[in-house]
Amino acid sequence: MTSLKQKIGSLMSRYSARHPARAVDVRAVFSSYKKIMDDNGRALEIMTDMGEKTGGGYLFDIVFTRDAYSDLAASVRVSLKDFNQLTAGRHPELEQAFEEIDSHINGLISGTYRSTERLSVPLGQVGPGIAREVGGKSFHLAELKNRLGLEVPDGFVLTVSAYEEFINHNGLGEIISTLEAGDDGPELLHELRERILAGSLPPALEQDLVRQLEQLSGVCGECRLAVRSSAEEEDDVFSFAGQFETVLNVPNEPGAVGQAYRRVLASLFSDEAVAYQRRLGYSPGGLRMAACVLAMVDATASGVAYSTDPLGGKEDLMLINSAWGLGKSVVEGSTAADMYKVERKPPFAVVDSAMGDKETMTCGLGGGGVLEKETPSEMRRTFSLEPKTIAEIARQVTVIEDYFHRPQDVEWAVDSSGRVIILQARPLRVRKGKASVEDRRMSASGTAPGTEEARPALAEHPVLMHDRGSVVQPGAVGGRVFLAGSPEALDEFPRGAILVAHNDSPQFVRVMPYASAIITDTGNTASHMASISREFRVPTVVGAGIATEALRPGAEITLRADEDGSMTVFQGIARELIDEQHDSFLKLEELYEFRRRKYLMKYIAPLNLVNPFTDDFSARNCRTIHDILRFIHEKSMQELIESSRHAEHGRSLKRLDIPFMDDIHVIDIGAGLSAGTGDLIVPEQVVSVPLNAILRGMSYPGAWRKGGVPISISDFLTASIRTGAMLENIDLNLAVISRLYMNLAVRFGYHYSIVDCYCSERPASNHIYFRFMGGAADISKRRRRIDMLAIILDHLGFITKVKGDMITGTISNIGQEEAVRILDQVGRLMAFTRQLDAMLVSDNVVRDYAQRFIDGDYDLFGKGDGQN
Amino acid sequence: MSARIMVIDDEKIVGDMAKISLEEEGYEVETFLSAAPALERLKEASFEIVVTDLKMKGIDGLEVLKTVKQLHPESKVIMITAFADLDVAIEAIKADVFDFFPKPVRIKELKESIRKALAE
Repeated sequence: MTSLKQKIGSLMSRYSARHPARAVDVRAVFSSYKKIMDDNGRALEIMTDMGEKTGGGYLFDIVFTRDAYSDLAASVRVSLKDFNQLTAGRHPELEQAFEEIDSHINGLISGTYRSTERLSVPLGQVGPGIAREVGGKSFHLAELKNRLGLEVPDGFVLTVSAYEEFINHNGLGEIISTLEAGDDGPELLHELRERILAGSLPPALEQDLVRQLEQLSGVCGECRLAVRSSAEEEDDVFSFAGQFETVLNVPNEPGAVGQAYRRVLASLFSDEAVAYQRRLGYSPGGLRMAACVLAMVDATASGVAYSTDPLGGKEDLMLINSAWGLGKSVVEGSTAADMYKVERKPPFAVVDSAMGDKETMTCGLGGGGVLEKETPSEMRRTFSLEPKTIAEIARQVTVIEDYFHRPQDVEWAVDSSGRVIILQARPLRVRKGKASVEDRRMSASGTAPGTEEARPALAEHPVLMHDRGSVVQPGAVGGRVFLAGSPEALDEFPRGAILVAHNDSPQFVRVMPYASAIITDTGNTASHMASISREFRVPTVVGAGIATEALRPGAEITLRADEDGSMTVFQGIARELIDEQHDSFLKLEELYEFRRRKYLMKYIAPLNLVNPFTDDFSARNCRTIHDILRFIHEKSMQELIESSRHAEHGRSLKRLDIPFMDDIHVIDIGAGLSAGTGDLIVPEQVVSVPLNAILRGMSYPGAWRKGGVPISISDFLTASIRTGAMLENIDLNLAVISRLYMNLAVRFGYHYSIVDCYCSERPASNHIYFRFMGGAADISKRRRRIDMLAIILDHLGFITKVKGDMITGTISNIGQEEAVRILDQVGRLMAFTRQLDAMLVSDNVVRDYAQRFIDGDYDLFGKGDGQN
Repeated sequence: MSARIMVIDDEKIVGDMAKISLEEEGYEVETFLSAAPALERLKEASFEIVVTDLKMKGIDGLEVLKTVKQLHPESKVIMITAFADLDVAIEAIKADVFDFFPKPVRIKELKESIRKALAE
């Protein structure tokens, strides 16, 4: 054995020589970290305030928006500056991302801003920066292509600038002003349409069009084109489904495309489209029209997929409609399509299907245009999709839904080589029973009459909770309680349920579109989840303390959360409460001006960077102010952890004597120990809040098993070989602490853990980071241990990532008290895990042991001396 | 209680939001984007409550207040403004406004103020 240990020692020193530790002044890094957290905290508070004030409960004007944003931008700039200093300018893309976002917001505020003067943009170059200029439909398609890497047709966009040029060039500005002023009689609209159809393209636009068409034929040869409408806001708040024209099978010739383009522009002013715009609160003439020109797919079959049943059937399934040929017949409902009900998760099994008669199919005509013809009879009696194609469509639809965080209505086509190509994706409004989730959510206005007389006595609905926690998003909704124990449990989330959880978590974004409400025991109104709740207008209460205890899974309840911060949970569905405050929010949403002002919040509040362990967690992917702040937080935290790992200790190193384990060496970087301590300290002298919490957990009666754990020779050998990767840190247990900070690295047996925590008064500044790696035992035992840790860490609210036999978990945005509770659990877990090596003999025990830990039953050896 | 309310603000969004929120309470609401047409309207009709922005191009809220008090002494005026300008606020209060709100105005508070004004 000794010789083995010597071997490890020599391995260790060789490894260290190759990876020399850099000595870092951790005090300086820590003070810079704290400052950044303060800057970020201020910015988050302003952001939260803006979200609240523009959410519908307040009369706000442009001055408010301008002033609030200018404060916000100033805070972010300070934060960025400090961050750049801390990270030695290693993230220059972040500043670029911020400048881009900032210029958009300023443009939206001043109303003069034009993000591009370009008349045309290839789809591959469309990014969030020019979302408005290319219209909603093109933007979504570009996102699918450029961000998700899905197959979409090649093409380009004629922007809203092109539309304006066209209008001016043909002298149509005046007639449109008349429209805007309120005169939209049929004669005027007719005249306008005729003049658009007879209009000529401005020379610059003509040149652009020729150039783009040439480029397109370079990519797809002689292919036919589809010219589609892409109005500002189309497929955004409202779908405008079927309102505007799409021209199919257009030859790739400037004349033909120009004519199709004019038809698309003219459709903005059809009698029906104008009536629709009025109903939605637009002033006709105010809405501008971009158009996308796309290569036609030579489709063998095509159709529409709904990522969830829009009518809210009992089982939560995806719906796919399909017919032979081009999708026009399905979209327009002119033929009876094949229908498939498909599970929403891999392997996307078809649970039900019905063959449609498909009496007609749409085909392209040689000379342009399309023809709806009779389907050959043998094809009418055959399903138009194969199972593997159905699964592939379903897979892509879930990817799209995950990305846009909303149920989706997706148009797709299958080409002759069997590839699935996405033609369009837009939000799907889901209905559930009589009132849809969406509707009920919208009815939850911020202007609830909260006076005494407005609260009816509810004899048949006893109060389950009252005035607990903080209201994030007001509203009154009913639904069944769904207790979310772990992230996987969310896969089973039933539509319309009320999500009840101990921690708030940005991972809940997955179910936001389906949740009627959210109630959590912990959390705060500035958390990431809270801002997402506001974005989705899901009535949400955080920090309610006892929700997971007071509310029974599956029980029907009604949550009433008022704008003034009061909340009540009633037993049963109290319809009188839900119906009482009807749809003023819907009406507000229908105000174009309201949406326009709120529009800039889209560049501020949504959080796209949810999981730090994924590849898209990058500076380049920051699309909102919230993303920027999140990125700064995460990277600063990593910087701090890294610097603590390489802390220069010299004379300041003290030794903490702990009875049950090897000493922990301590570097105190600020009031982490009581004054006047010598070189050898005892736990009572530790003042550091996080270190105290974790020591308390580690020494929790029962969690720690005295004496060694039996280990087989082969396990030990494996351990010795495997420890190579962590030799750098294996030499001593080390804690870098201040009163509110701790970075602790400890070795227990053959496991190695790092815990990093900052737990100030301001939840938004706080985090816990936990990493566990290495360990003896064979590969299957190690994997089981990681599986078990994953279950427990998920339960504690960590976002986790497993890589080999290493698991990393983080929690951000956490109150001090909650952080202390979790550290205590982490401490127990570290002690508990120590005895596991020899115990994880089969897959079956993993969940059992995890559950025993969660239940506080730490004695895996049973009573007695504890040997197998 | 049904009552007639006039809202004057040079930003359309403020009037529109106020109209939606107040109609929800059963009030009749008319909105104006500037004071001149509002004052014309006041010559032919009376409103129990006039909610007006303080700082507007042309005729400002204080002039609206004076005219309202002249034409319809029983009407109550609620002043809102983007600038929480204390001096003007004090002058306005002296000049008998019923209530004063800096923007952004919490709709719930505005409604309560209107209820109180109508109850007087």
